[in-house]
Amino acid sequence: MKLNTIGIGGFFRVSSALVIVGLLLEIVSLLWFSPLSFVLFAFVAASLIGLGILVYLASLVFAAVPASENRE
Amino acid sequence: MIGPTGVVVALVVVTIVAAAVFFVRPSITGGITGKILAFVGLCILPGLCIVMGMSFHMQRSEQTKFCISCHSMEAYGKSLYVDDAKHIPAQHFQNHRVPPEMACYSCHTDYTIFGPLKDKLAGVKRIYLQYVSTPPNPITIAGGFKNAQCLHCHLGARAFEENPVHVSIMDSLTSNQMSCLSSGCHDTAHDVANLSHEKFWKPGT
Repeated sequence: MKLNTIGIGGFFRVSSALVIVGLLLEIVSLLWFSPLSFVLFAFVAASLIGLGILVYLASLVFAAVPASENRE
Repeated sequence: MIGPTGVVVALVVVTIVAAAVFFVRPSITGGITGKILAFVGLCILPGLCIVMGMSFHMQRSEQTKFCISCHSMEAYGKSLYVDDAKHIPAQHFQNHRVPPEMACYSCHTDYTIFGPLKDKLAGVKRIYLQYVSTPPNPITIAGGFKNAQCLHCHLGARAFEENPVHVSIMDSLTSNQMSCLSSGCHDTAHDVANLSHEKFWKPGT
């Protein structure tokens, strides 16, 4: 499947899902007092959130424009 | 009273709610307002959560109780309570020559521009050794303990600079050719092997 065939709604769903999972893990890392909480935040939570942001940014470039917005 | 944890958690919860809206109804981004909200909810707020989360974790990892939460560091935490003035870390900790809540970090950070970052990377390696591999025994500092960590506070202090012993070896100390922890000088630091023979200070007694 080519990226430019995915609708912007699909990109937003993937982006927000990644951001939500990352943020939930960030809350766990904030409330958990352990050396592993730093690892959980830096390597898992922040990566998922960052990936979510990248997917959102990719949607601005690659998302298929709905036909109704493409008439002009 | 809401603490720093509460502020970060509140921001994260607000961001989760914002992201959840775009997950459930991505169609609301059709208009220009929706596009701006999507930019804030899926780019600005999550980015802010990463920055604030990192800042929170960096500050928390500078705390003494964080350092000694590792099992292999417990003895080093205990050594801060040795009731003997010859024990340099204990003397600094008990007399507040370093902030007690940041006692480890005060003497074990690299006082350079990227020092805290280098420390965190070294810390990640130690976490790996703790949980995946085996921590070395005894624990050593890579590259040895640098005089800069002592001189960061002591250089310029009258008692240090007017001490005749220090005056005679000042160049060797500042160039790190001679360690402050050299035998016969300040050579008792975290003597964890002999803790069982030590008397301990109990705060408030």
